Amino acid sequence: MWVDLLITLGKIVVLLGVALGVGAYLTWFERKLAGHIQARLGPTVVGPFGLLQPLADGIKLLTKESIIPRGADVPVYYLAVVLALAPAILLFAVIPFGPGFEVFGREIKPIIADVNIGLLLIFAMGSLLVYGTIFSGWASNSKYAFIGSLRKAAVIIAYEVVLGFTVLGVVLLAGTLSTVGIVQAQIERGVWFVFYQPVAFILYLFCMLAESGRVPFDIQEAEAELVTGYHVEYGGMRFGAFPLAEWYLNVMALSAIAVVIFFGGWSGPNILGPLSPYFWFLAKMFGLVFFVLWLHWTLPRFQAKDVTEIAWKIMLPLALANLVITAVVVYLVGGE
Amino acid sequence: MGVRKLSRKDYLNALEAIFFIDFLKGLSVTLRNLLRRPITTEYPKEKLTPPKRFRGAHGHFVWDGTEPDSLKAIEKFMSFEKGKSRCVACYMCQTACPMPTLFRIEAVQLPDGRKKVTRFDMNLLNCLFCGLCVDACPVGCLTMTDLFELAGYSRREEVLNMERLEAFGIDFKRRRGDEPDRIWPDDSEREKLWGKIEWSG
Repeated sequence: MWVDLLITLGKIVVLLGVALGVGAYLTWFERKLAGHIQARLGPTVVGPFGLLQPLADGIKLLTKESIIPRGADVPVYYLAVVLALAPAILLFAVIPFGPGFEVFGREIKPIIADVNIGLLLIFAMGSLLVYGTIFSGWASNSKYAFIGSLRKAAVIIAYEVVLGFTVLGVVLLAGTLSTVGIVQAQIERGVWFVFYQPVAFILYLFCMLAESGRVPFDIQEAEAELVTGYHVEYGGMRFGAFPLAEWYLNVMALSAIAVVIFFGGWSGPNILGPLSPYFWFLAKMFGLVFFVLWLHWTLPRFQAKDVTEIAWKIMLPLALANLVITAVVVYLVGGE
Repeated sequence: MGVRKLSRKDYLNALEAIFFIDFLKGLSVTLRNLLRRPITTEYPKEKLTPPKRFRGAHGHFVWDGTEPDSLKAIEKFMSFEKGKSRCVACYMCQTACPMPTLFRIEAVQLPDGRKKVTRFDMNLLNCLFCGLCVDACPVGCLTMTDLFELAGYSRREEVLNMERLEAFGIDFKRRRGDEPDRIWPDDSEREKLWGKIEWSG
């Protein structure tokens, strides 16, 4: 009992450290990537290749004065930071990074909460993200922030629906909502679900971009119109927490979920011995993260009205059709 | 300019829309740029060399034995020294200058009848670097160097006096004196840009 709790605590500490650290370093990576895509260099000054840039940014953000705007709803203003960061981190709780292994006769699974409703939990957390956005926009007492938060809320509500229906196809195929179960279903068949559900994967990719506020669906940032959207009135590290949660943690978590659902989780040829499942999982996950960042620095932004139109008029019917066809095929062929 | 009519080819057809051909084209453009070498010049660490006829800070060419013979003829009217400015205080630069307060030139007559330039100040805060003074100089003394880092801590620093002008001129001649006095590196380079030019003179 106590040992189990300690093990879970250890897993949480490791995961939190790794996720936040990698999230911080993704800022460096994104700046480098953006720079090189635009034939610039990106950060080069702080440390070799600018590698200490996230630290410098962190120190700068921590030492800056944080001003609360007049007329702000102070408790909600602070609550919004927590509500933005917490669901993004909690998404990692149900992601299996590899198969279970045994230490001193005790099986340890590299997943914090191996629950049988993993996917449901993911959608719950994804929907909770909208509260951080709405609260921050509302509590800031600023028009720009409020417009940004309303846009983000519209996007999240629209794309959360589509996301649910795209993933249901995979759930039908695997017959379980557990993330570990889905990965094992793919390993047993020897086929990744992306080959069974290509349409669902593309829809999922778009939903992922919309959920994490990435181009081409970043209407809530819309630098040219809304300065920076719903967190414009925040200062210091609170300002840094929103992009960290939304742009980096969320992208990483949703990429990891995409790997679990569509790319067979940790499955892959055994090239590194016991470490190879982790290698494959992280390689697939960061491949997707790289793709998202690459897309960000390629595409322009949709109009605000287009984003919701695409979700309700094109992607939702496609997702429903995909689901119905999958259901019929599974019923006729006999799923399993 | 009329309104351009879009034909059907300017829209994506169904197949292209399904396979996101436009996305893939955009992604390939950014990927090619990602693999390209950056074009950044990291300024304080590396500096570009301007072309020789770049209009930077001014300088005075000095009396160092490379003058044409025509200039040697006026030596008996002017009190020239080796390694000092060639200026004859003719005020042509000041006359050509669009700014009335930029130059401050003073000269005296020595007891032996020769003329000596005692002051030649240029207030670069007024200067718009048009180069008219350089064109006006009849003795080939005033020039413009390739120095462009002209920031200073006080307004006084921005006034170039005779010593600094001479130092700039000596430095410029030592570094770039041998280059042809053209904005292009060589004639073949020029012909690539402007084609063959027959010089009238």
